[in-house]
Amino acid sequence: MSHKKVYSMEKKQAKWGLIFTLPCLIFFALFSFYPIINAFITSLTNKKALVRTSQFVGFDNYTYLFTKSNGGFSLSNSLRATLTFTIGTFIPMVIVSLIIAVFLMQLRGKSSRGFFEIAYYLPAVLSSVVAAAIWMILFDPPGLINQASNFILRTTGKDFHWLVNPQMLQASTMIVYFWKYIGYFVILFITGLASIPPMLYEAATVDGSSKWHTFWRITLPLLKPTVLLVSVMAMLQCLKTFSTQYMFHQGGAARQPIDVITMNIYFTGIRNGRLARASAMSIILFFVMLFLTLAQFKVSGSDETEY
Amino acid sequence: MKRYQKKLTVVEVLIWAFLLMVLVFTIIPIIFMLNAAFMDSKQILAMPFHWIPSSSYFTTESRTFFTNFHKAIYGNNENPVFLRDVANSLIVAITCALSTVYLSALCGFGLAKYKFRGRNFLFMSIMATMMIPFEAIMIPLYMVTSTLNMMDSYQGLIVPFLTSAFGVFQMRQYLSTFPGEYLDAARVDGMGEFSMFSHIVLPNCKPVMATLGILSFRAQWDNLLWPLLISQKESMKTIPLYITKFSEEKQTDQGAMMACALLASIPMFFLFSMLSKYFLGGAAVYESRKG
Amino acid sequence: MKKMFLLSMATLALIPTFLFAQGGAETKKDDKVVIEYWTHEDANRQSLEDRYVTEFEATHPHVTIHITRQSSTKMIELVQTAFAAGEGPTMFNLSINDEYPYMAAGRIAPVDYEAAGYMDADELEKTYLKGMLDPVKMDGDFYGLPLELTNWSLYINKKVFKSAGLDAEKAYPRTWEDVVSISKKLVMRDGDIITRRGFDFRYPYYLESMVPMVEQLGGQLFSADGKEAIVGEDAWVTWLTFMQDFGPNGENLGSPTYKNARSLFNQDNNDVAMCMTGLYQEARIKNDNPTFFNSNDWMVVPFPVFKNAVKDEAACYYGHYLMVNADASDAEKSAAWEFIGYMLSHGEEYLNTVNIIQPTKELMTGEDYHSKPFSDVFAGDFERGHVVYYGANSREIQSLLRTAVESVMLQNTDPYQAYLQLKSSAQELLDEE
Repeated sequence: MSHKKVYSMEKKQAKWGLIFTLPCLIFFALFSFYPIINAFITSLTNKKALVRTSQFVGFDNYTYLFTKSNGGFSLSNSLRATLTFTIGTFIPMVIVSLIIAVFLMQLRGKSSRGFFEIAYYLPAVLSSVVAAAIWMILFDPPGLINQASNFILRTTGKDFHWLVNPQMLQASTMIVYFWKYIGYFVILFITGLASIPPMLYEAATVDGSSKWHTFWRITLPLLKPTVLLVSVMAMLQCLKTFSTQYMFHQGGAARQPIDVITMNIYFTGIRNGRLARASAMSIILFFVMLFLTLAQFKVSGSDETEY
Repeated sequence: MKRYQKKLTVVEVLIWAFLLMVLVFTIIPIIFMLNAAFMDSKQILAMPFHWIPSSSYFTTESRTFFTNFHKAIYGNNENPVFLRDVANSLIVAITCALSTVYLSALCGFGLAKYKFRGRNFLFMSIMATMMIPFEAIMIPLYMVTSTLNMMDSYQGLIVPFLTSAFGVFQMRQYLSTFPGEYLDAARVDGMGEFSMFSHIVLPNCKPVMATLGILSFRAQWDNLLWPLLISQKESMKTIPLYITKFSEEKQTDQGAMMACALLASIPMFFLFSMLSKYFLGGAAVYESRKG
Repeated sequence: MKKMFLLSMATLALIPTFLFAQGGAETKKDDKVVIEYWTHEDANRQSLEDRYVTEFEATHPHVTIHITRQSSTKMIELVQTAFAAGEGPTMFNLSINDEYPYMAAGRIAPVDYEAAGYMDADELEKTYLKGMLDPVKMDGDFYGLPLELTNWSLYINKKVFKSAGLDAEKAYPRTWEDVVSISKKLVMRDGDIITRRGFDFRYPYYLESMVPMVEQLGGQLFSADGKEAIVGEDAWVTWLTFMQDFGPNGENLGSPTYKNARSLFNQDNNDVAMCMTGLYQEARIKNDNPTFFNSNDWMVVPFPVFKNAVKDEAACYYGHYLMVNADASDAEKSAAWEFIGYMLSHGEEYLNTVNIIQPTKELMTGEDYHSKPFSDVFAGDFERGHVVYYGANSREIQSLLRTAVESVMLQNTDPYQAYLQLKSSAQELLDEE
């Protein structure tokens, strides 16, 4: 008797589970899975934008990407640019936002904390096109950044070539990205910090632990899930970056130093019309992202923390 | 009872100094935009930069307080094209926000509260889509859109963004901590599953729904690449398109461009000031409701 | 409960029908013809062509014409994306080096001579100046009609010259070395940062404005037999070195990262003295700054030549040709060609309002053309120059040139290395064909 009841309840669960998830599944099938499979299939052909027919060429596109220069914008250069940008941005972002979050939690007044939260978050409210437009003017040779740099370094009229020198150019894109998203990650950390029961801190103080010691031994380990989540999110976000580099290039900057994979995909596919090759690059990017995400999970260990 | 006032320690001063430095870094570009919106190119590129626009600027015949804004709104045309683009962006962003919230809730609920075979696999697959960069699928998406005859239309702008993997993730995390007892009680009372969803689950998710809605709104407001590909008709363009087009046309009129940027940011600033709590609630709301 | 659920499912199911219904409304009804015309932005041309649309629609009630305008750089991408998805516009125009790939891939319909107002291909050819239609000739048919033909010469702001004690009329640059020495006198900086430029190049149009410089030195983009790319090592390295010396790592006279010179030129703001642009710029100056236009403070001089040049070359001329999509229906194609014929019958208006030249014999020998200020300079440079390189991969070649110049100017790469890189990448492209 009860066996039958359990069985039908299971069936009911399954049925309803599927019903609820169905709309989204259809959506993802149509707008995520189908396109990526299509992209994979296209990458095995020689499809070009304007040519009506295409032929199956197997893995030729992949071989090409790893051996030839793709009209001067090789895949290896893009991988370098993307990884430099990602590592150079997300690591400082995670560290600095953690520091800021910790500092904010030390503030006495709750309203002062709220004020800073809002102020730091403001850049994230702006659209990335607006952010790029503002920073392009700021990085312009007569712009504010040069003036500020000259002021800080006590030089005059020195042009730091923010948009010219390849290393400076990469740094400029990182600065814009950092500026835009730092507040967002500060908030994430604050939430994580706030979810640690204050009891633990009290217990630690009673036990004679110094603030520094408490931070390292208690706060950080408990924060690990949040740190992991924030790092993965920040890293994925950086790997997908496009508009900052694109706007800078449209504004006259060189493409090679900041030719991140997404931009290379866009130009190879849309500007040069080599759709098959661009699709191959997208698949490669997908696997890079997958690999790095899994690696990050592995490195930090996915143990649950118990209070 | 008087609170025990501690003296300001050195550490605290240092902390304040650091936080203020970061504040300066964060705020200055925004203030710059505000000021530059009222200046002309010469003043913007002047060295050193004067933070207050010079009054002489406003008294010449050809420029008034609002010249830049007028240029921003009208661009090259007689019609306030900008306003129509605002309307388009609003329609798209609001629709996407509403649908994302609803569909993510549906899906998240199904994934969180119903055990069925393949549930984890489905969830993982949906999460995997977050790793698919838009540039990778834009051509196939473009072709899907044109096959469905949705080019140059609101449907075309909206449909590919009806929901998001991030939204599903948020809702599923949040709902997995929703007390199952309420659901069981409702079932015992004879409520249907869907009715249970609408009347018991949804009303209790308001914070996470609000946050998700706002983030989705923001994502669509900011979307440049997709409208760039499918909105050819002037009447269908959105704000990011306007700004990029504007910056190319009036390439050297930085003042007008900043005015344009400012105008484009006002709706977001407004939303933010009204609903900052939900912005800042950000990804926090998925954190478990333990304890 | 169940009802609510079924209702929402039904609503969701209705969405596709709604979508298709919308699509259905857009399919052309039997006798109505809709033409999508995509073109690049130009305020003066816009008012003209909007008027042509109204006039044409009045006399052809079954035809509706929609014009979409984008910036010229965006146009390239958008037209290509649209064609890639089979959704190209009925008619469009791009620069010939961007249009040629479409022709080569068979996506363009040949001219409908009757609809456009000509008896046949021969009559069409005779209407235009010799060679003007060559780029769009394929297998005996023509695949486009010229909307404009442009070449660039050197515009000079005499006031800026005067402020440095130079008389532009006498001292204008004849050689590239002159350009550099004059720029050195005119440039103003605040430390490293340039606040006023003498001359600056027209980045990123390397095929049009800089390949001729290499050719002046004896180099070539491609060998005559089409087998070798980037011919003439000395010429190319000399030119790359010249560019490096001009830029931020050399004399610091200009750079691709500053605002483009021709946009600044109109404002007459004492921030640039010389720029390279075409006859159409005059209409823009007139529009943006009538006082400047009417003053005697600007002039146009021929494209400079290197002192040790072995060949005299001026900037390449390029054309925008109006083309029709091969995928359009027959009714659409013939209506489009009719409309094109109608628009192009107003050659003088295009010249007088927009300052663009349609290279018909009639126009080029007429009063309107000769009355334009400095039109003789442009005509002279026309003779000295040749058409810009057009080919299936011209866009990629343009990118490669851009990278080469940027690497020597902005990244301080050794010009010889940049040349080697350019040559190997270009050769790769050539070999792929």
